[in-house]
Amino acid sequence: MLARAPAPPPKDADLRRTYDAVIVGSGAAGGMAAHVLTSHGLDVLLLEAGKKLDMESELKSMEWPYDHPRRGQMPYTSHALRFNEYTIRQPPYARGLPWKTVYSYVQGWGGSDYSKNILVNEQDHPYTGTRYAWVRARVLGGKTNIWGRLALRLSDYDFKARSHDGYGDDWPISYADIAPYYDKVDLYLGISGHPEGLAHLPDSRFQRPTRLNAAEVRLRQSLARSGRVLTPYRAGVTTDGLKHNKYRSRCFGRGACGRRAGGCDIHAAFDSPTGLIYPALDTGRLTLRTGSIAREVTVDPGTGKARGVAFLDAGSGQALEARGRVVVLAASTLESARLMLLSRSQQHPNGIGNSSGHVGHNFCEHVMGPGVFGFVKDLVGKPRTVDDGRPGGFYIPRFRNLTDRHPSFIRGYGFEGGSGAEMSPKSARLPGFGASYKRAVREMAGATIGMGGFGEVLARYENAVALDPEVEDKWGIPVLRFSFRFADNEKKMAADMAEAAREIFEEAGIEVLDVDRKVLTEGWSIHELGTARMGTDPRTSVLSPFQQSHDVKNLFVVDGSSHVSASCQNPTWTIMALCWRSCDYLADQLRKGDL
Amino acid sequence: MTLTRRDMLRLAASVAAAPLVPPPARAAGGTGSATTPAAGRFFSAAEMALLDELTERIIPADEHSGGARAAGVGAYIDARLGDYDPGIPGLRAERDQWKAGLATVDALARELAGVPFLEAPAEDRVVVLERLAAGEPDPKTDGERFFVELKRWTVFGYYTSRVGIHDEIEYKGNSLLVEFAGTDPATLPAVPPREDPRPVKP
Repeated sequence: MLARAPAPPPKDADLRRTYDAVIVGSGAAGGMAAHVLTSHGLDVLLLEAGKKLDMESELKSMEWPYDHPRRGQMPYTSHALRFNEYTIRQPPYARGLPWKTVYSYVQGWGGSDYSKNILVNEQDHPYTGTRYAWVRARVLGGKTNIWGRLALRLSDYDFKARSHDGYGDDWPISYADIAPYYDKVDLYLGISGHPEGLAHLPDSRFQRPTRLNAAEVRLRQSLARSGRVLTPYRAGVTTDGLKHNKYRSRCFGRGACGRRAGGCDIHAAFDSPTGLIYPALDTGRLTLRTGSIAREVTVDPGTGKARGVAFLDAGSGQALEARGRVVVLAASTLESARLMLLSRSQQHPNGIGNSSGHVGHNFCEHVMGPGVFGFVKDLVGKPRTVDDGRPGGFYIPRFRNLTDRHPSFIRGYGFEGGSGAEMSPKSARLPGFGASYKRAVREMAGATIGMGGFGEVLARYENAVALDPEVEDKWGIPVLRFSFRFADNEKKMAADMAEAAREIFEEAGIEVLDVDRKVLTEGWSIHELGTARMGTDPRTSVLSPFQQSHDVKNLFVVDGSSHVSASCQNPTWTIMALCWRSCDYLADQLRKGDL
Repeated sequence: MTLTRRDMLRLAASVAAAPLVPPPARAAGGTGSATTPAAGRFFSAAEMALLDELTERIIPADEHSGGARAAGVGAYIDARLGDYDPGIPGLRAERDQWKAGLATVDALARELAGVPFLEAPAEDRVVVLERLAAGEPDPKTDGERFFVELKRWTVFGYYTSRVGIHDEIEYKGNSLLVEFAGTDPATLPAVPPREDPRPVKP
């Protein structure tokens, strides 16, 4: 049942020819661009900086901790940055540390030995400026290999947020423009969820939902009395299977999602390689070149249009160029902005596509940290059941500033949470020691419930990245310098998150053990967005509503950098829906000879 | 409002009314003085004996399952610390703190009971550990900081072991399920709104 097809064989890139499109990056956006453009019959070259890993041998999702020499943790020759280090030190965080390999905080979790080849070594990839917990995966598929799987739609509360509350800018598209593409993403990749009919969190074309356990049912029913919703985790996971994809299995509830940093070695959870890239390779029209570190979008000096992508071969260090009729950037919100800023030429002195000066600006994301942890008394000491055999627990959609106006902040937040017994019980965080401690941990293991908030960080021009004038990465490429800080709205929202979380639990009769008010370092959500925003005015935006550069019509930027505001809903599904829509447009324009 | 340590202990106690001094160990291994552990990769034989006993005091054997000793937690901690690259000065300091921490425990035992920890009677060992654990939410002394680190490693080592996962927690997952046996929200009864709905804070 779990047998899946192996990855298709590679094909060498031919750098003497001009491809229809050169894509930079192979994550959610790059993979989607490869899928859509090849489906339109275009010949596509995909450049990925990292390696192609054999995820089955990397992830070993069902290995018991005690069968691993370090219980799943990486060796001590490596170090994962901790919250305190992000707080008291300044980037570049790895500088001066004794370890050869320094990773972002994600590698501080229990299963880090399985993700150590997926995330970048901060020693090789520094950045500077304000504190920021930047998590990067340089590998085929990028961060989709370990993503949290929460797959949500945005609504017109997000696309038309300015019209709703007067802050910032509306997106140049509305929900009606993107809804058909959300449908396509749902059906092509598979998504699990339960329809709720909410205007602010539109339903997807769901496969069967993951189910709720007892504590979650109690919380759902309690919230319903106040007109609020708790819905099963909307997971970018195929629970019914996908007949059209031979590389992915349906979910078998192994509970492997609970082992972090994450990853699904049967690919029931969406990842870009098996969900998008391997099927695109099977069309015969996609060429994949890994170990290709893009450093500049090259420009035709005659027309000022994009000519291709200059890159370094990771093996030989050789400088090469790939040529395309169209260049599609999908390197991630921050890396795509960096590439645009690096691409300075006579025609584009501030970086390609940056006549507005907005590239790197309006950088936004999600604020997180506050949450609540407790237990349900009636469930204490009950016989053990399988509580974690599903892709996730629950999601409580935004309830602030929809029909009401909160006096201290605008926009909103949602909660992600879960309940019940896990391989390593959450109740182990109880204080104390000895027989009473041990028994309490055991009896409460199936009764615990917790949740944490994800809130919208407002897009502000002054929150930005720029090129550092001095510091370079391992490849001699200038790195990003951050100027990014949470402000008053985020801090007040975070305070409300903690308070609301506690109230929600107390109303449901859940015993509260701990309320966490700590706001995690900027970047912690791994939801960075907005550094090359879309708009209709080329003076204040970088991209058109089809993610096409206002300045350079054969340049598209199809990742999260195009987002105008962050919403509080997780961005991956929106990134892919927008990319699909833009690539349909791109193919049409190319066919008409308009690029 | 974050609960105080006292509140949390009360809550924990309310669901697990067990005596603080553990009953005689059921599982193999006995008390620390009954066997003489060999030197580890990192710790000396005497340090291993102390570490072993401390971990067992944190998670003891009881009528339900074996404790930290049966789960090999001391050997696990020793192996992890033995993995450190001693050539890196920053890491050497971190390792040295473990030896210093064990010495702090013995020093406290001498202060409170007049003898090293392993020579003290069971009641006095509990008193020493209670003193160290008193600072758990916000450790201030070297001893209190060492307890937090020791407990963190003991908890991770124990609940990732065979004994911890299967015997103690009786974890049923990490298996292939045709379907997760939970509640489909579509089957839940509709809920009438609260009669006096708590005002949603504007």
